[in-house]
Amino acid sequence: MDYVHLRRQAASLRKGLFDQGYLDEQFYQLEDLQDDASPNFVEEVVTLFFRDSARLMANIDQALDKCVKDFNKLDVYMQQLKGSCTSIGASRMKTECTAFRECCRDENIEGCMRSFQKIKREHSVLRQKLESYFQLLRQAGPVECATRPNK
Amino acid sequence: MASSQVVKVLIVDDDVVTRRIYRTMLLRFGFEITEAGDGKSAVSQFLIGNEYDLILMDNDMPGMNGVEATRTLRGMGILAKIIAITADANSRGALLDAGADEFLLKPVNFTMLTVILKAFNFLN
Repeated sequence: MDYVHLRRQAASLRKGLFDQGYLDEQFYQLEDLQDDASPNFVEEVVTLFFRDSARLMANIDQALDKCVKDFNKLDVYMQQLKGSCTSIGASRMKTECTAFRECCRDENIEGCMRSFQKIKREHSVLRQKLESYFQLLRQAGPVECATRPNK
Repeated sequence: MASSQVVKVLIVDDDVVTRRIYRTMLLRFGFEITEAGDGKSAVSQFLIGNEYDLILMDNDMPGMNGVEATRTLRGMGILAKIIAITADANSRGALLDAGADEFLLKPVNFTMLTVILKAFNFLN
């Protein structure tokens, strides 16, 4: 198996995530925390993020389905989701969470719905890309830490 | 400081991802970690007799927020160092007035957190 090629693919995918704005500098901090004591830390945290964010998004879906919209509750859920996005550097998702919260403040339910659809799309795309990235890393085998892409 | 040599830390944040990140960072320093998902749970830790040297306190939590939890803990005579962590810069004054010792904006810059830990003499 061409491990060099796999590592190049992984590096390219990772660079793309930053260049296209899916991830921000906070992701670097996660990578800095990965070491011999926590060799899979980044993937573990990302996995935890997608599991927990799916739960929060299900709560938001339920709240949006109700006839009477509780904008305060929606804002609380979205604040939690935004906080989670911030912690792993999920930049595009974070931006959409901010937009959703503004719609909550304006009690603009249609805006909330549109924004939430965007959040779901960003969540899905980021999940696919990161799953591909970690799969490539696993196939490529243990290596030294990837270097940060040139800015 | 609590009677043990090991620095005991209470991480208070309603986000499980954030708690996991702080945990990993602080374990690097050999700290002993306990987690609480909200302010009320944090206060309960002390009510049942646990002791901590350091508290990382989120502000925006359901139920009892960080300001209220900090004020309650100080009112109980808890002297642990409290680092308030929040995404809202406007909360700084309220958190410090409530008794927090330091304030950090989310996302936490780990270098800055390390500087604060050193200033608190938690790191050699």
